[in-house]
Amino acid sequence: MGLAMAEPVLSFQSVQHRHAIPAPRLFKPWAKRAGPGIVGLSLDLYEGSVLGLIGPNGAGKTTLLRMMAGVLPVQEGSIEGRFDGQGWQPVDDLRQWVGHMPEQVRWQGRTTVYEALSQLGEMRGTSETKIQRLLALVGLRSRKDEALDNLSQGMRQRLSIAAALLGSPKVLLLDEPFNGLDPVAAEAFAALVRTLASKGVSVVISSHMVAQLEGLIDRIGLLHRGQLLDEGPLEDVERRLGLEGRYTITGQGEVDALSFAPADDVLEHHQDDDGWSLTVKQDPQSVLSAAMKAEANLTSWAPVRPNLVEWLCAATGMSVDDISLEVASSAMLPMRSVEVSEDE
Amino acid sequence: MSDLKRIMKVAARIRKERLSGIRLKIMLPILLLFLPGMAWGFSDPNIVLPGGHQPDTAMEVLFYASLGVVFGATMCAVLMAFDGVSKDRASGMLEVRLAQPMPRKHQATALILGHAQSILVPVYALLFASVLVVQYRTGQWPTMIELLVYALSTGLVVFWYTLFALLASTSAREQGTAIAFGIGVWFFFTFLWALVTTMVAYASGVAVGEANDPAWVALEGMLDLLSPNGVYHHLLETQLPTVDRGVHAWQSWLAALLWTVLPWWALHRRMERLVP
Repeated sequence: MGLAMAEPVLSFQSVQHRHAIPAPRLFKPWAKRAGPGIVGLSLDLYEGSVLGLIGPNGAGKTTLLRMMAGVLPVQEGSIEGRFDGQGWQPVDDLRQWVGHMPEQVRWQGRTTVYEALSQLGEMRGTSETKIQRLLALVGLRSRKDEALDNLSQGMRQRLSIAAALLGSPKVLLLDEPFNGLDPVAAEAFAALVRTLASKGVSVVISSHMVAQLEGLIDRIGLLHRGQLLDEGPLEDVERRLGLEGRYTITGQGEVDALSFAPADDVLEHHQDDDGWSLTVKQDPQSVLSAAMKAEANLTSWAPVRPNLVEWLCAATGMSVDDISLEVASSAMLPMRSVEVSEDE
Repeated sequence: MSDLKRIMKVAARIRKERLSGIRLKIMLPILLLFLPGMAWGFSDPNIVLPGGHQPDTAMEVLFYASLGVVFGATMCAVLMAFDGVSKDRASGMLEVRLAQPMPRKHQATALILGHAQSILVPVYALLFASVLVVQYRTGQWPTMIELLVYALSTGLVVFWYTLFALLASTSAREQGTAIAFGIGVWFFFTFLWALVTTMVAYASGVAVGEANDPAWVALEGMLDLLSPNGVYHHLLETQLPTVDRGVHAWQSWLAALLWTVLPWWALHRRMERLVP
């Protein structure tokens, strides 16, 4: 489904879940207080879109996904859904509509693939035919009688996604799905995600590796310390944060590549025996002209996406040094607010 | 599919998994030794128990043989259920299960029933064998009421320890803590309860261990209501007219109800708040 036609199916308004952490006192050793988590987060999920939820370790990605999956309670805020062609309605039980694939499920034991899926299907009342179809969809039909202990990591991830799809969800949440996958398995997994999105499923993928989401996501959400810094179509967010139009130009030989562009526009420069590369944040035309004028031997030029640190620096207005990549503390730092227009 | 049917299906899956697991195969010799084995020993026509007592009815023999339930079956219940939740939590499966649209209370009920059934199946089979052993050795059958009370109270005590183990499993972040908690509770009620009784008796000025002192017998009887093993024996004693420890049958059944309902409620509450 094209992005222009995409309609929101699930809307989270100012939702919050803060973890209870121990705060023992003399006469109340079991006391707890609200710790880090998700605070005042609003997010719409669109039919057929793939949202990449990126953030450093401890940003709250897993907490947010668990909350969206109905595994953790929403302590504040509201959730509305628009499923089955009906209007917006409050959602009582997200688990009816959302499929959740947690990070790194260790499927183990002598149980077969089919039995493992059937057992979960019993909890939803899923038919055997549906389970057979799901196994075919994720490419595990020929392995259905294999014991879980004998599965490779890639197959386990496929089984996890099959488990998440048991209820024919309108929204599919994937928590760090590429962890532990080799490139071939990762590509196969990405193809499966694209297939699901093309069928109208709204997919949310969390990752701290932006490069893995390249070419797969059409929307991006930046999460840091439990807050959604910005969210929207990839190009729009890039433009809002001033991260659009980045190119890497490479060439052979030894040249003064830094002279091809104003110093302020140069993001990265490498020179070694094999050649040089220059990453700039401007239209490559002027750089290419300068390079050709200097008779440099060009080999390629291509647009590049910012990495996680660049996204976060741009969204928070903080420097790399200021951004702590440690687990978030309970003190929520005020972030730079970025306007998101209503039509997005 | 109705909620009840779904709960029973999930429970049946747990039961099947546990019954076919290697853990039960390891525990079976223990259960054999403690259940029919004890019944064989106590039904010996020449047996003389401390105090010169000789059991002379089938129910009395079964009552003494219930020591095997207290020592063996309850421990096996703990060993069967100690990782009922913690194993799934460690592997990430708990999150997958909690993400299914089956109410957590129903999941908790299925968990309890599945684990309880998995230990009750071999225990009841061996109890039946015990009754046959007693009949073979003494030539007597217990009455139908005696048999019902024996089966029900044995089922209950095994069920309580299953609940304790599962409760521990929901609190433990790793397997070691879960098993330490489960075995710890079992050890406390099975071995250390006598010490608690003694201490309370001493503090109350009751002569400790005087089996013929009515004050000691009454105190021990009342304190036993606070222990699952004690309640189990009180329930069995309702079928032994010669035993009177100052506790009415209704008090024993009420205590049994509380030992069933309170941990059940606590486990449901834990499951409602469980974070994967």
